[in-house]
Amino acid sequence: MTASIRILSAFQRRALNEILRVPGGAIPGVLAPAIFLIGLSGVFGAAGDLKGYQGDFTAYILPFGMLQGATFTGAATGVNLARDIEQGWFDRLLLAPQRRSLLLLGLVSSASLRATLPATFLLLVGFALGVGWPGIGALAIAYVLIMGFAGVIACYASLVALRFRTQQAAPLMQIGGFIAILFTTAYAPLALQSSWLADIARINPVNKILEGVRQGFVPGTVTWDTTWQALVALAVLGLVLGGLAVRSMRRTGR
Amino acid sequence: MPAIEAVELEREFKGGVKAVDGVDLAIDAGEVYGFLGPNGAGKTTTVRMLVTLLRPTGGSARVAGYDVASQPDAVRRRIGVALQEAALDPLMTGTELIELQAKLHGIPPEKVKRRGEELIERVGLVEARDRRVGTYSGGMRRRLDLAMALIHEPGVLFLDEPTTGLDPVSRMTLWDEVRRLKNEGTTVFLTTQYLEEADQLADRVGIISDGRLVAEGTPAVLKGQVGRPHLEIALADGGDRERAVEVLASFGAPRPPAEGFELAVTVAEGATEIAGIVRALDDAHMTVASLELVEPTLDDVFVEKTGRHLEGAGETDDAGGEPAGSP
Amino acid sequence: MWALAGRALRNASRRPQFFVPMLVFPSLLLAANTGGFNRTTALPGFPKVHGFLDYQLAAAITQSLLLGGVSVGIAVALEIENGFFDRLIASPIPRTSIVFGRLAATFCIALVQVLFFLVLGLIFGAEVQGGIGGALLVLLIGAIAGTGFGGIGMSLALRARNASLVQGIFPFAFVILFLSSAFFPMDLLRAPADWVAAYNPLSYIADGLRNPIIAPIDAGAVLEGLAAALGVTAAMTALSVYFLRGRLREP
Repeated sequence: MTASIRILSAFQRRALNEILRVPGGAIPGVLAPAIFLIGLSGVFGAAGDLKGYQGDFTAYILPFGMLQGATFTGAATGVNLARDIEQGWFDRLLLAPQRRSLLLLGLVSSASLRATLPATFLLLVGFALGVGWPGIGALAIAYVLIMGFAGVIACYASLVALRFRTQQAAPLMQIGGFIAILFTTAYAPLALQSSWLADIARINPVNKILEGVRQGFVPGTVTWDTTWQALVALAVLGLVLGGLAVRSMRRTGR
Repeated sequence: MPAIEAVELEREFKGGVKAVDGVDLAIDAGEVYGFLGPNGAGKTTTVRMLVTLLRPTGGSARVAGYDVASQPDAVRRRIGVALQEAALDPLMTGTELIELQAKLHGIPPEKVKRRGEELIERVGLVEARDRRVGTYSGGMRRRLDLAMALIHEPGVLFLDEPTTGLDPVSRMTLWDEVRRLKNEGTTVFLTTQYLEEADQLADRVGIISDGRLVAEGTPAVLKGQVGRPHLEIALADGGDRERAVEVLASFGAPRPPAEGFELAVTVAEGATEIAGIVRALDDAHMTVASLELVEPTLDDVFVEKTGRHLEGAGETDDAGGEPAGSP
Repeated sequence: MWALAGRALRNASRRPQFFVPMLVFPSLLLAANTGGFNRTTALPGFPKVHGFLDYQLAAAITQSLLLGGVSVGIAVALEIENGFFDRLIASPIPRTSIVFGRLAATFCIALVQVLFFLVLGLIFGAEVQGGIGGALLVLLIGAIAGTGFGGIGMSLALRARNASLVQGIFPFAFVILFLSSAFFPMDLLRAPADWVAAYNPLSYIADGLRNPIIAPIDAGAVLEGLAAALGVTAAMTALSVYFLRGRLREP
């Protein structure tokens, strides 16, 4: 058990290196969602005047931005894995006498940890743009969901990396999460959406996660109902994609 | 019980290419085994199967007593592996990498420090230990890679082309380390495309070509099989090569000449025959510009078994990017 | 020059992983924006349009063309990294044809991009109010603007010489795009976005692309768009040639 924790911490430390020891390494992952947030709120801010947003437009899209940061981080984990495969580092991991699921957990949990960086930066940008304080409980739930979602996307991206074994598959890793969070109530509540988009958003499990993150910001009240739905959606996605990724790890070399 | 044992080991890739086609191995504990062959012969594929990174598609292999396919974790615990690329994270320092490797192998933290320091000292990286690996030279990387492979005191060590691309001094340092490991009783499986390396280090040598083991034995026995030394001859300007071949036919069998020579012939009695050969050529009005008596090497064994020279094969492999279009 | 253009085109067609995202990402954003913001056309101050999709098409085209510019930059930076570029410079061809060849190819690719989005829009129910002539104008402005964006990418590559650095600058293309009237009417933008947008050439390019789609052709908007596109192209081509010359002067 303690040996497993030491391995996980080693993964975390290596992932942090990529941010801390590369000059400017943290910038793209943090900046891109911030640009998106500032851009969206500046450009589409007037949309908040429509009835149905139950609050400020920036507060409405801030949780979307935070999740978007998590998808960038998760996809980056897959791109890094592909790089590690190309350069042979991944062989070193595979040669360790450890469960493959533990190795995957190491990769995925480092994505979760790193996802707090863009999320926090975005939160500060949001506050600067006038978003109100959502409350400690709501923030805690939001962070759990964001970190979990980064892990889920990391599983997906790792799956792609293990399949294609090249960094050239990066767009494929990025686009999965991008689609998943875009076809939700990202920009507008169900009632304001075109019916086709609302239909997709209703069955998209990521929408549950988004609403779980958003509840403290808009409408501003945290309910158990929204929370457990978000957690269940996250757990299901995590189990499915995590299971597939572990399977793919085990099959490496066949 | 052999430390490494393979029976009819086979690996077929998609499209039906058999990179390894029925290789049998039996390597004793404490032996240094040199696995020799040009690029693309199946060396790396064989190693990757033996170290559990690649599943055999046929046959079986046991390493340190465990089956590589059904008991991979038991194998991983007992082997050390330094792969061709020396995959090291350039952002980490030498010490950090050793510690990470120790964690991956589940070595208790109280042991990690002492063992790590020992290894760093052993491979001569004490001064560079806290520098990032990105600043290391090729030789330093290989040495660090070797130290990492030894962190859990493995009984069997796999070295995949440990000196490819290294300068002669770094190469010697690594050779010394391999000899030291052998003295400590470690089994070493060493792949190489350098004959001299196998000759210097290996107790036994296996030669692989096109996925098959074509020869195996101690370097002395293998060279003995090829038998006699040969003479490389360069003729002075205007020498008629075809006539010379005819003249030499009475002395011994012709063979492909090395670079810089026009002809080569095996000489049963070695140096004592040189005078006769020069005189015979002289009588035929051909002047010898230079000649060299060559004792049998592993290259001769390779030529004998495969009809090709080994050294240099694949070294011109062009790694440069995309093919250029017409400007 | 034409041989170089042909080579750039061939490479683009052989590397779908570079070409496809230029079409797919903007298409996805277009879908999400249209689905999410379709009611905003009812906001006071929003121009009278047939649908929000019609309005957003110009934004998707501009975005796709910007991505195209980034990919030109990456392609050139990769050629510098792998040494092909030096071989071109060493060969007996006019140096400027290195720039013009690449931009000619970019012009052709931009035409394909614009056509793709026009067809996509028509399939999903948008209408080009300006008719065939309007569509041709959209193609013309788009292809010129795309060439200009390619010039931006090329200048960056000639300066940075490093593909990952060029890729790192990529998010800024979005900043500039966001701070324009590409996505939403100028009158509805909030400060400070509206202020920047008023001086942003992308606003004029996007509005020039949009006008023939959402309304009968208005010479003013179209000419402004054309002028902005030509301005960007001329400036960036000049800058590319200047940077190329600078590169040649170095030891």
